[in-house]
Amino acid sequence: MKPDTLISDSASATQGARFSGIFVGRHLTRSAGFFLALTLLMGGCKPSGGEATSGKSTGKKKVAFVSNGVASFWTIAAAGVKAAGDAVGVDTETLMPVEGISDQKRIIEDLLTRGIDGIAVSPIDPVNQTDLLNRAAKRTHLLTHDSDAPASDRAVYIGMDNYQAGRLCGDLVREAMPKGGTVMLFIGRLEQDNAKRRRQGVIDAMLGRPSNPSNYDAPSGVIEGNGFKILGTLTDQFDRAKGKANAEDALAKYPDLGCMVGLFAYNPPLMLEALGQANKLGVVKVVAFDEDDATLAGIQKGTVHGTVVQNPYMYGYKSVEILAELAKGNTQVIPPSKFIDIPARQIRKADVDVFWADLKVKTAGSK
Amino acid sequence: MTVPLLQAKKLTQTYPGVRALKGVGLHLMRGEILAVIGENGAGKSTLMKILAGVQMPDSGQIEINGVAVSLPSVLAAQKLGIALIHQELNLVEKLDVAANIFLGRERLRYGLIDTREHHRASQIYLAAVGLQVAPTALVHTLSLGQRQLLEIAKALSVQARILIFDEPTSSLSSSEAATLFQVIGDLRKQGVGIIYISHRLGEVKELADRVTVLRDGENAGELSRTEIEHGAMVRLMVGRDLKQFYTHVPQKPGAVVLEVSELRTQVYPQQSLSFQVRAGEIVGVAGLVGAGRTEMLEALFGVTPAVGGTVQIDGVEVRPRSPEEAIRVGVALVPEDRKHQGVILQMAVQENMTLAALRRGNPTGFLNPSWEFALVGEMVGRLQIKTPSSRQVVQFLSGGNQQKVVLSKWLSLKPRLLLLDEPTRGIDVGAKHEIYRLMEELAAQGVALLFVSSELEEILGLSDRVLVLHEGRIAGELDRGELSEESVLRLATNTDVRDR
Amino acid sequence: MRKILGISALLLVVCVVTALLSGSFLSAYNIENLIRRTALFGIISIGVSFVIVTGGIDLSVGSVVCLVGCGVPWLLTTHGWSVPSALAMAVVVSVAVGLFHGLLITRLGLPPFVVTLCGLLLYRGVARGFTRDQTVGFGSDFKSLRSLATGEISLPFISGFSLPVPWLFLVVVAGVAAVFLNRTVYGRHLLALGCNEQAARFSGINTGRMTVLAYVISSFLAGLGGLLFVLDVNSAQPVDFGNFYELYAIAAAVLGGCSLRGGEGTITGVIVGAALMQVLRNMITLVTTHNNVEFAIIGAVILAGVIADELVRRLGARRQKTV
Repeated sequence: MKPDTLISDSASATQGARFSGIFVGRHLTRSAGFFLALTLLMGGCKPSGGEATSGKSTGKKKVAFVSNGVASFWTIAAAGVKAAGDAVGVDTETLMPVEGISDQKRIIEDLLTRGIDGIAVSPIDPVNQTDLLNRAAKRTHLLTHDSDAPASDRAVYIGMDNYQAGRLCGDLVREAMPKGGTVMLFIGRLEQDNAKRRRQGVIDAMLGRPSNPSNYDAPSGVIEGNGFKILGTLTDQFDRAKGKANAEDALAKYPDLGCMVGLFAYNPPLMLEALGQANKLGVVKVVAFDEDDATLAGIQKGTVHGTVVQNPYMYGYKSVEILAELAKGNTQVIPPSKFIDIPARQIRKADVDVFWADLKVKTAGSK
Repeated sequence: MTVPLLQAKKLTQTYPGVRALKGVGLHLMRGEILAVIGENGAGKSTLMKILAGVQMPDSGQIEINGVAVSLPSVLAAQKLGIALIHQELNLVEKLDVAANIFLGRERLRYGLIDTREHHRASQIYLAAVGLQVAPTALVHTLSLGQRQLLEIAKALSVQARILIFDEPTSSLSSSEAATLFQVIGDLRKQGVGIIYISHRLGEVKELADRVTVLRDGENAGELSRTEIEHGAMVRLMVGRDLKQFYTHVPQKPGAVVLEVSELRTQVYPQQSLSFQVRAGEIVGVAGLVGAGRTEMLEALFGVTPAVGGTVQIDGVEVRPRSPEEAIRVGVALVPEDRKHQGVILQMAVQENMTLAALRRGNPTGFLNPSWEFALVGEMVGRLQIKTPSSRQVVQFLSGGNQQKVVLSKWLSLKPRLLLLDEPTRGIDVGAKHEIYRLMEELAAQGVALLFVSSELEEILGLSDRVLVLHEGRIAGELDRGELSEESVLRLATNTDVRDR
Repeated sequence: MRKILGISALLLVVCVVTALLSGSFLSAYNIENLIRRTALFGIISIGVSFVIVTGGIDLSVGSVVCLVGCGVPWLLTTHGWSVPSALAMAVVVSVAVGLFHGLLITRLGLPPFVVTLCGLLLYRGVARGFTRDQTVGFGSDFKSLRSLATGEISLPFISGFSLPVPWLFLVVVAGVAAVFLNRTVYGRHLLALGCNEQAARFSGINTGRMTVLAYVISSFLAGLGGLLFVLDVNSAQPVDFGNFYELYAIAAAVLGGCSLRGGEGTITGVIVGAALMQVLRNMITLVTTHNNVEFAIIGAVILAGVIADELVRRLGARRQKTV
């Protein structure tokens, strides 16, 4: 037994109580019953290192899917998690950290303390979380999704290449503005790897640079080339009123702004709000990321040129599938590259209706 | 002539805009009790602060045993043997007696506080002041009188040769004061020099060897032991003769305004109080601290509602559960703690004066500035409140004027029953006089007055009738004819005074 | 009055500096945005200033913003309530929250800090519970309701500039608040209670009732603010909607001259304080490309202002004494 697993029963119980509070979405109704089970477990079994023990209560393996925040994107992923859980016969839960990196750490630690057969996580800060991820990888099966942590001992990364997805988005900008022009980028925050790479992909594609994920342009300062002038990148730390204010301030600062690019799911709807109030819908081009309802409606109306969508449903589904196999001891599912690609794709006016209808079907179970 | 223990020469102190001291001198001999008296603002406090090292004078000289010294800090003064027993006691209530005595000079053992040594050593000083409490007793469990003695014990522990008392008896009961005087007497015998500041001329007369009078920041005169006499002191203090100090004119009592029967307070629930006050009557309430006087007034005013009994105002039974309700039936209270309960220090004279009458004076709920203006103008004139303007913040008024503001707050409501709790505490002689005059005036208008005071002179001089409380019950009721210092004290202490 | 002068001067300086550094600061569009944001934050700041005037504190403002901001779209879109009934519910809930705080503080004697801190956790948790952490919003519906926050009134004689509707809300709220505080018996009672609770009670003021009233006003205006915020932004995520707004509100109130010790406060000052916060944030986006140092700049400017204010006050006090 390793020293860091020595946690007294009472400490685990309080952590369990806090833990039950972060149950989300459709798990809410189950959380009370689960908490009861958890409390019973606390009385019965000592936390042990290595193999997880929580499967005892139901006889099923149990895996967890941890997001990097709360968003409708993750709700879709949760639907995939649930569907895969039902299909392969494991218990699943989806956990969304509310307060950033410290909350995510707490969630993972609580899962380890309790015992779990596998964790899929979207690390918020992969470089600095390596220790935590390695600790988790020692005690259970760990994979990353959405955002990778290549330096850690995770079994595999499931997701898309954010740099490549960013390039898809950059291509959409070039389509929307064939003659080039001024562009402003909007994003929740830049601390996380996927955000950095996604932004870099957009920039590189717009400037017509060859594909090289190790490029880096600092967020402050203007970037010019290939007929485009990227005026800056505004972050909002997930405060939506601030996100909208950012869009408004950009419109005030640059009255002749050509294009706004929203890189987190909630950014494009806020940009559309600001544009609507400034009577500039359709005047300023909008290129989006992800599939918020307002974004898709904008594509239908023509106020949004297009969006790049990931496949969160498959992130969830594939994560659970792989973890279930790993829990059975089957390591064959891991490709040598340790990367399972769930590619992103572009949605334009022509594809939006079909895509949206499919999306509604996939998320129907979660509402 | 022997060298004085302490001598101050030509001290001046100027605050921005105010010359607090204009060349004041003072000397104190070994084993002497020097009383320093003067009206508020005469410069007593400033002088004491300089002597205790709280502040440095602008000019002037201080000598101890004939040697010029400088007192830049309280610590420096302490090292020279000067200790100030402050009006507001400087004790840490949550610590025990011994810890307070050695606060800031803790005795250490292995780098830690040596509690046992503290307890042992503190016994000596406690015995010296006749304070019979355990060194481990927490200060907040001590009475005010005991705390005063503890302050003295603390001063003795720093080997003080000069003790300065600032209004030491203002919150003591008569028996506690008597103990204090005895301790002061003992200290004098041991050669300690004592400077004693008080508004209570009676105790000055009893205690002092010599009196120095200050007026407007200057020496107004000095009285030797044989010259100390009430009239002479007042004359020097106010610079003129005050005619007869108390001019009580008993009114012909009218109908019963307040009828209390079987009233039981929260503090003394097993004792019940029954008495009456008639219109135009001034009834004094005497008793020791802790006799339940304040509690009685607060029960009548609804601050801490009574637990039993009935109260009738003008024959109608009332049961005030809050001051709001008491005021509605015509009761008003001038509370004991002026600065915390009487006035709102940060607010203007005007806002304080109209506070209680606001709702009655502005039935629509919207403030009527002309109503407020008229009321304030009337009150400032009627009570002769000395303030630069009605917009002046009350904090900067003298104690006497603050108390007048409290009174004016009630006058516009025309109360049927006015309760006053220590109405003249900490107020200078001139203002006291005006407050007495006002009480007489209200009585003449048919208001019933019930006032609590620890100053016997005041009780004797002003009351038509006196209720003496002892441990929560009425130990006796004295008519004007039966009033004497002795009769009141006997009832208050529940003993024969001469036996003490 | 002097207190407002200091903060107003600071606001003016920040505006002038920003206008010099950025040509677009004074554009009609930017001014409209600033007015709308100031109005939204001003309303919740005025609310909390009532509590601060009594010497209390309300830390639950941001969570009430979240509760109402998420609750109204949730009732309208997910449950299909009618607009009047959803708005009535918002009023009832926010008033009930204030009542709850006030009664706990006055009847049970609990410290306001603790009561409202628990409120901060509680109401956000409730909002996250009933929305199941889902983002709620109006989509493209409820245009007329949303015009309460997004609408603009064109002014005669001034072309190119129109007044955001939230400004009207602020003017009405501020007007009523100022009259209440300065011109009514109850406002005076509230100030007296803030200066010295005991003396106020001894003067026959029902201090308990006034305290409850202050918390009700605070929560009600937080609810109104929350409604306008969500109408403006169009979507609310219960996890972060209104996060830290209690601190913005308290900062604006304190900047505007409300003493945390109670008994002091002017409504105009609070609005100026709220405006200062918004102009600073706007300045950082317009002038710099480093919006990650935003909080550092806001903190530094406010601190400098408060220090300058204190120095001026001391100078004034010294001069007054010598007169």
